[in-house]
Amino acid sequence: MSAVADTLPSAAAEPWTRRLKRSLLYGGDVDRGAKARARVGLAIVAFIAVYGIIAARLVLFGIVADSRAPHRVVTGDAVATARPDILDRNGEVLATDVRVPSLYGEPRRIIDCDEAVELLTADLPDLDAHETRERLCSKRGFVWLKRDITPEQQREIYRQGLPGIGFLNENKRDYPNGPEVSHLIGHVNIDNQGIAGIEKWLDSHGLAALHMAGLATDRLQTPVQLALDLRVQHALRDELVAARAKYHAIAAAGVVLDVRTGEIVAMVSEPDYDPNNPRQALDPSRINRLTTGVYEMGSTFKAFTVAMALDSGKVTLNSSFDARTSLHFGRFEIHDFEAQHRVLTVPEIFTYSSNIGAARIAMAMGVDAHKAFLRKMGQLDRLRTELPESAEPIVPKRWGELNTITIAFGHGLSVAPLQAVMGVAALMNGGILIPPTFLKRTQAEADALGKRVIKPETSAMMRYLMRLNVEKGTARKADVPGYYIGGKTGTADKVVNGRYSKNKVLTDFMAIMPADNPRYLLLIMLDEPQKLPETMNFNTSGWNAVPTGGAVVARIAPLLGIVPRLDLPPADKLILATVRESR
Amino acid sequence: MIVRLLNFVVIGALVLAAAYVYRIKFDSTVQAERLAKLRTEVRRERDSIAALRAKWGELDNPERIEQLAKRFLKLKPVEPTQFDTLDHLPDPPPDYMRPGAKDPIGGMIEGLDEPVGVTGSIAEPNPAGAPNQAAPSPAAASPDAGASNTGAAAQ
Repeated sequence: MSAVADTLPSAAAEPWTRRLKRSLLYGGDVDRGAKARARVGLAIVAFIAVYGIIAARLVLFGIVADSRAPHRVVTGDAVATARPDILDRNGEVLATDVRVPSLYGEPRRIIDCDEAVELLTADLPDLDAHETRERLCSKRGFVWLKRDITPEQQREIYRQGLPGIGFLNENKRDYPNGPEVSHLIGHVNIDNQGIAGIEKWLDSHGLAALHMAGLATDRLQTPVQLALDLRVQHALRDELVAARAKYHAIAAAGVVLDVRTGEIVAMVSEPDYDPNNPRQALDPSRINRLTTGVYEMGSTFKAFTVAMALDSGKVTLNSSFDARTSLHFGRFEIHDFEAQHRVLTVPEIFTYSSNIGAARIAMAMGVDAHKAFLRKMGQLDRLRTELPESAEPIVPKRWGELNTITIAFGHGLSVAPLQAVMGVAALMNGGILIPPTFLKRTQAEADALGKRVIKPETSAMMRYLMRLNVEKGTARKADVPGYYIGGKTGTADKVVNGRYSKNKVLTDFMAIMPADNPRYLLLIMLDEPQKLPETMNFNTSGWNAVPTGGAVVARIAPLLGIVPRLDLPPADKLILATVRESR
Repeated sequence: MIVRLLNFVVIGALVLAAAYVYRIKFDSTVQAERLAKLRTEVRRERDSIAALRAKWGELDNPERIEQLAKRFLKLKPVEPTQFDTLDHLPDPPPDYMRPGAKDPIGGMIEGLDEPVGVTGSIAEPNPAGAPNQAAPSPAAASPDAGASNTGAAAQ
């Protein structure tokens, strides 16, 4: 500043040329000192601004660089995206992701594509040479050659040092238990997207959106825990495979349901497939018969008929119905399999599995009441679970008296077996209908979901009837000592070419254990079991599905933590007495 | 004079600051490299854990265990009669023992006449020639001493 002040008095000493220039440029009366100060000030502001921007940018880089780093690592691989692990209720792995190398080519960078094809097919004998040549000699930037190769093959190909050939690590779904939990868990396609079962459910519940956003690449996803118990599943499957072989049935299926929470502890539909090899799933004989198939369940439906009558209060356990002669309705005639030709009480109708008796009960209740009851029990609407595959029940379009008569003993209405299991579970557990689930559920959640459909006393009477049926009725072969099983059998004639077949039947068995304090409901279903000499040439449920059910209970009850109690009194003392007391 | 000194101090501070910033920068680069390395390592570890878990799931599969148990174990499935509740236990024996006295529980077990059967936890006694190498098979127990000797030699 002082320098500027010094120059001012000597302004007069300037040469005239410079004075002229100055007066031309700035005008005559400008204070150059003030001007210079203003310029310095401007320069300071400009520099501060520039350095400020640089500093701010540096800070920004410092913050942003960190959050970008993991993305840069991931983009190198992971084309097929990660999925959460699936565990059973005890934490056993049912499905997990493993990393496998996949082979790709960049045709533009390949020097000699014939040589490359030759060397690759030498290492990978199952590679189609013609197709590989077509892909590698094209002008594209990127082609897949083979997904999922072994580390040994990777090493061999790597050693050949072919330009334009590379590997990407991909997630591959691995099902360590093979076919044991096939239908329930479903499977994925080559890009690790769920296309069936729980895997598909996972995708439709947010996982697909995560994939789209490119976020589901890391393994840090919380595993999904199912209600399934792998040990019970294995025991059930093992027995069903044995039963299917023994009775030469075309299919066998089974469910174990926790009646208190609606959790599906095991579900098997034989024949099944290995999810590691999903091509098998395309075979139509391997469908999941429990959710995608609908069947006339046969006599197990009498449980609904009897429960409806008892719950209405119009019928008691001592009521009796005429079963002396066959029931004629129009041109139809209804027979009993074990005809007694006398008047039967309600427990007798249940234990002799009398079609006539069940039909008469339903007729006494009326068509509308029957229909309303079955709707309340969830038998007329499609049952939706986590599994994407579900089938709509086949309900008669015009529901007349004849329909009520046949549906009373389980013909004329086709439901998904899982649906029937849900309904019977509600009859057993005190009268609460709980939608079944494949995911782990607590008692509190189940209580919130459940809705009362019948009175607790009716449920106790139904349990008495189920137990009585094992003690004296058609399900005697399932009486495993110590577990106090109750059960109802069902044998439905199959429809072949629009007519009921005499030889082809579907047998099923619903078992509740223990009958006095129900915990688990078991369904066993056999499709077309054959008559065998050791079953006295019968193919009804009591000779095939019931012994299978007994064998399954004996194996799974210890696994499910049911304490065996020997020397329990018969059903009329243990269960029926409590009903009478509470009244 | 003061101003000049101040200038020198400022220049010195600038050099020091530059050196310090350089060190921080260098350290952070080293740390970032280490971080990236650890990340890859963690990822690799996680992948191998997943592979091992899958392998373990395969080995722990009930089907496989059942086959192995059928082949190598001489145990039977548990019967409902083998369960009992704690309140069915007899009263405990007196909790004092004189030195030299016989063991009361041992005495109770010896007092039982019936032989101990095959249960879920007690295996069947090993019959001669059974492919169970874990159990001892003394030659004296076998009726054919010569055959069992050759068997032992083969082992």
